[in-house]
Amino acid sequence: MEKLFTFLESEGVDAVLLDGVRDFRGRYPAPPELADRIPDPEYLFYGKKTWELALAALLAGKNLLLAGPKATGKNVLSENLAALFGRPMWNVSFHINTDAAYLVGTDTYDGHAVTFRPGPIWLCAAKGGFGVLDEINMAKNEALAVLHAALDFRRSLDVPGYDRIDLRPETRFIATMNYGYAGTRDLNEALTSRFAVLDMPVISEENLQKLISRRYGGINVRIRDQLARLYGELERKAESAEISDSALDLRGLLDAIALMEQGLSSGDALRMCVVNKSFDAYERGLIHDVIAARIPEDLKKSDVFDA
Amino acid sequence: MIKKQYSGSARRARNIIWNAAGRYDFEPPFLAFFPNGTGDNYFNMVIGLAEKWLGLSRIWDFFALYEGDRRADEFDEFLWLGLENCVYEKELAERPILAQLRRERAEDFYRTQGMLSRQQMELQSMPVYTQQEARWAEVSGRRAPPLSPRERRMADALRFSGTLDADGVLNAMAAFLRDFFRFTPDGGQHTRPGGGALARFLLRHEHRRRDQLIVRTGTGEGDHPRAVSLRHTGLGRHVGPTEEDAAYIRAVFGRSLLTDGELRILESELCVGADEGCRLWIAAGGAEASADGAAADACRSAALQKARNEAFLHEHAAMVRGSVRQLSTRVDTIFSSYLRHLPEPGRAGRIRPEAAYRLPVLGDARVFLRDGEETEPEICVDLLLDASQSRMNSQEILASEAYIIAKSLEKARIPVRVCAFRSLRSHTVLEVLKPWDDGGCEGVLRYFAGGWNRDALAIAAVGRLDGDAILRGKQRILLVLTDANPNDSTPLAAAGTLLRREYEGAAAVRAAENTVRALRGGGMRVGAVFHGNTSHLENAHQIYGHAYVRIRKASQLAQGVSDLLLMLLRETRTD
Repeated sequence: MEKLFTFLESEGVDAVLLDGVRDFRGRYPAPPELADRIPDPEYLFYGKKTWELALAALLAGKNLLLAGPKATGKNVLSENLAALFGRPMWNVSFHINTDAAYLVGTDTYDGHAVTFRPGPIWLCAAKGGFGVLDEINMAKNEALAVLHAALDFRRSLDVPGYDRIDLRPETRFIATMNYGYAGTRDLNEALTSRFAVLDMPVISEENLQKLISRRYGGINVRIRDQLARLYGELERKAESAEISDSALDLRGLLDAIALMEQGLSSGDALRMCVVNKSFDAYERGLIHDVIAARIPEDLKKSDVFDA
Repeated sequence: MIKKQYSGSARRARNIIWNAAGRYDFEPPFLAFFPNGTGDNYFNMVIGLAEKWLGLSRIWDFFALYEGDRRADEFDEFLWLGLENCVYEKELAERPILAQLRRERAEDFYRTQGMLSRQQMELQSMPVYTQQEARWAEVSGRRAPPLSPRERRMADALRFSGTLDADGVLNAMAAFLRDFFRFTPDGGQHTRPGGGALARFLLRHEHRRRDQLIVRTGTGEGDHPRAVSLRHTGLGRHVGPTEEDAAYIRAVFGRSLLTDGELRILESELCVGADEGCRLWIAAGGAEASADGAAADACRSAALQKARNEAFLHEHAAMVRGSVRQLSTRVDTIFSSYLRHLPEPGRAGRIRPEAAYRLPVLGDARVFLRDGEETEPEICVDLLLDASQSRMNSQEILASEAYIIAKSLEKARIPVRVCAFRSLRSHTVLEVLKPWDDGGCEGVLRYFAGGWNRDALAIAAVGRLDGDAILRGKQRILLVLTDANPNDSTPLAAAGTLLRREYEGAAAVRAAENTVRALRGGGMRVGAVFHGNTSHLENAHQIYGHAYVRIRKASQLAQGVSDLLLMLLRETRTD
């Protein structure tokens, strides 16, 4: 994970915090049998300030709630944090049917007796992992109540009918949530109070340029800058509710570049990965207009990438 | 309330302007179209860039200086050519594709020129045409048209430099009009007549643009201080409903959904106190053949209004689709917490003690219950539309809004029933426009306004229409689309007194308030979408408490209704 430290140092992240992480890693070495659960992130998160806030909260033993609109890199940051701290990660995608039994564990029959089958939160607590509670506000509040004791000063998990376990000291939970976005609702106060809340900023144009350059080293700088601005324009259009969030997809933009690298024209690549993410013909027209005002339709690989 | 609705191409044009301006918080005073009505994307971008670099308000102010001049359209087009050059030069470094888009716009000029009719050609302003041709020939690399020395000077003057700031551009515009048309904003000028009036592409001021103002049926203007309102005319008729009245109601609204016996029971429970002497009629619509001329007239009007509602919906299909999409997404989100999971046996979950023996005896591990995939909503929604005469000016709008709400709820799989209510001849008629089990919402378009509105009785009646199997075990929500101005020709009944009080004003509002309170006491959640005059806002507050939203235009509908539903559900939740 030295590359992550190097990256953060180059981004100017506070050295004291990075030393704190190194110290944490020294105190809590990752169990070898869980090595494959320690993520190896494909994308790096850009945003010095956000990094510093997140590191400070986790080093202080707090749980993190990453709140922000779509495509602000919440999952990328979660993964980056688990990798930096060298912790096995359990990612729990919350949905409307998520219940306490799924999170903590449930009864099952092992062929001889009814036994406890641990859920991801229990495993995370017992193994000292980083639990990523993805889209936490998609779940009903009653399903989340089971987490209260785990998330506050008690740091314990009581499984009805079984034992109570204490969280290992290196266990952390990182929750993510969208707001003002279809499929989500407010998190209740009891749960919110158990997190340090990090308001995720929309990726800046400069950081998006860096992200694209790191991922696609050979990209023409002029095209890269236009793509970054295009993303900003789509973001503003979605923010003003002229289009839905469906086309506001950072992964889609990066995928489009990947398709251009494969030889697809810019128009086809952006249609597949950005425009067609909307299933409304009228909205597709609006998205197309934004792209047409930035990126020529017929750019070839040789135009997009420097030799 | 829909006051103005933009066509699809206008919305697209506005989006291009906003995008180029980098802001969405202003209403573009200009939109650009080709003569065939399609958006002129390049010039819309120029308008947006003019906002970004120069500020449209100052440009608009300048244009207003020659507003009354007969050459105003011509001046507009000249000046926009100048502005185009200026913002092009300013933006090019930041948006390299602009050079390509400009060339394409030049090609569009020649293409659309070839498609103009002779009449359109004759109506063109030749001086403007010459300048445009000079500009686009230069951009597209074609041979420039022959220009007189004056025309050449004009072409040069219209190349407003990209180095100019807003003041510089305004000075250049003023200088152009002064030098070539002897026009000065302070009034001295007008020595030469202008050219043709029809723009080759249309750049319009706000007041000239082609908004589709809803102008039919009533006034179509919605509520305003002089909107339709009913007034009691003093000590007029009230002798209680007669057989003739009942026949009229039957002829106009069709047979009752309830049997005579059921109606009598309902009336005996609801038509008491202040509503004593009133009758109820619960109808599915569909007039019966009648020799009554007045009834036949009413049926013809209703059929005509239905056609108008359908035409309105068709005309605004894009807006309706968009609103349904927005609202159904929001509704889906809000109501997803209220889906009941049907339990199913599984190998893990909550153990069923009564089946536990199957483990050791039969080796059957499926003795647990888990939440199944199948769900059903715990909520159903009644939509009640005020169909009284006071809604006359907003019939198509209300019908389309009710359609949007019903369609959105249906899309989110929430059972919804839509009823319209009005009072006539001492009968309070509930007309079921869309029953629970009808997946389509087209019946809502049968909505028409006419009669009085005895809100309290109508709301109480809807509250009692709960016999349907679909309601069992579900929480009920009642949304009333109302102007919060109850008013009926049948007076308030008051026991022990000969003095009659009209059903209007504070007394009628209080009656509605009491009914809503009683329904809420019975577990029903009642909220209102308020469409009335500001003077009746206080009534809405008194009747519905905080549980109402005011909708002034269609674009607020999705947000308003979803906020209202959320508010009502939060009251409901016990978890």
